Amino acid sequence: MPDASAKEAQVRDIARRWLASGEVRYVIGYAAGRGNVARAAFVRRAGDADRLIWNPTCVNNLTLFLREEMLRKLAKGEKPDPRPIGIVVKPCDSKTVVELVKEHIVDPARVRVIGLTCEGVCDPKKLVGTEVGPHAVTADTIADKCTVCRLHNPLMADEVVGDEVPETVEDDYSDVAEIEAMSPEERWAYWERQLSRCVRCYGCREVCPLCYCAECVFDREKPYRWNERTVQLPENLWYHAVRAMHLAGRCIDCGECERVCPMDIPIRKLNRYLEKKAKERYGVEAGRSAEDAPTFGSCDVDDPEEFIW
Amino acid sequence: MAENDSWEPKIIGFLCNWCSYTGADLAGTSRLQYPHNIRVIKVMCSGRVNPQFILKAFQEGADGVLVSGCHPGDCHYIKGNYHARRKLTLLHDLMDYMGIDPGRFQVSWVSASEGHKFAEVVTRFTEQVKALGPQTKFTGGEA
Repeated sequence: MPDASAKEAQVRDIARRWLASGEVRYVIGYAAGRGNVARAAFVRRAGDADRLIWNPTCVNNLTLFLREEMLRKLAKGEKPDPRPIGIVVKPCDSKTVVELVKEHIVDPARVRVIGLTCEGVCDPKKLVGTEVGPHAVTADTIADKCTVCRLHNPLMADEVVGDEVPETVEDDYSDVAEIEAMSPEERWAYWERQLSRCVRCYGCREVCPLCYCAECVFDREKPYRWNERTVQLPENLWYHAVRAMHLAGRCIDCGECERVCPMDIPIRKLNRYLEKKAKERYGVEAGRSAEDAPTFGSCDVDDPEEFIW
Repeated sequence: MAENDSWEPKIIGFLCNWCSYTGADLAGTSRLQYPHNIRVIKVMCSGRVNPQFILKAFQEGADGVLVSGCHPGDCHYIKGNYHARRKLTLLHDLMDYMGIDPGRFQVSWVSASEGHKFAEVVTRFTEQVKALGPQTKFTGGEA
């Protein structure tokens, strides 16, 4: 893909420029990984900027590392460095940055964003068994999240790489509607089948850029243990329902939870359902603008309440 | 589903201190009859009720969970019940989506002067939960 390599060169140029002038501490970007997924690179010297890549293996959401940096406590004797962090984001990842700014985790003055326009990346799970290396994005390899993506141009970017892509796709939530159309018994059977597979590796939690509680409820022992460690269905059900509620109205559908899930649980279908409902009921959408009020941090006198007596 | 007629549902009620708990008190002092299935937990505001509490109550063996607070606009903390309404509505939706009988979870607005309404709500909700039978999805076994 000629387009991708041109963008790659631009990303490297910008990173090199920022690092050479010393205006950023380091740049978080993609580097070639083993297998069909890129890995995160932390480029600290201008000379290393050529490690950065851009191709359809860049599926991961790097804002996780930005958040970790923002929440990190300084080491003993470490002086705070006021310079911002540079980060390479796809449009979907840029929504995470917006959401993190909205939640006052990321100070916009402390981040410089290289935003790439994007027309989809490959799903590594769909490439299992094929030759390792960047594959073209085709209907067979494209990640599911990209087929319903409504944002092909980055938000909040200091530098935009790539030409503007027209927004064509309208998300009809058909994957969610499929489950909604089932009878309650079928829905329960479906989720029972899916969630009983969960091994509770907590991969979905660890990789989620918006799961950042200092102490996670699933780790708590004192004063009360909320969740047992067994992988039986009731505990798994509790875990996934609570996790979904914690992300209700915040999830920006970067699809990382589903990508890392070793048991292929359709976690996005839970998140997307609440995303859909929050939009229908309250007109809120995560990651649209940092000026928006948070879903559960705001309320309206006229919020629907048809089930309340 | 109820195998024998002696089965009675366990219902956990989260009542707000300012309206519903006082309303329940009024139902008591007015000698109103309502089912004894409800176990009341007093919270300072319906906005205090985390969706986690409800799911945890189910896991600990509750057959139904009732959350009751002040009427919209009457909250002692101005907006607590509006916030509760958003969270709990989405939780109700999620339960429906996951096929976990949303009928086991109910929210109601009961003011301090509505002892009769509290009795009505508890009666109606107990009947609704009774019809659904024991809750086993979160407990993982026979109730």
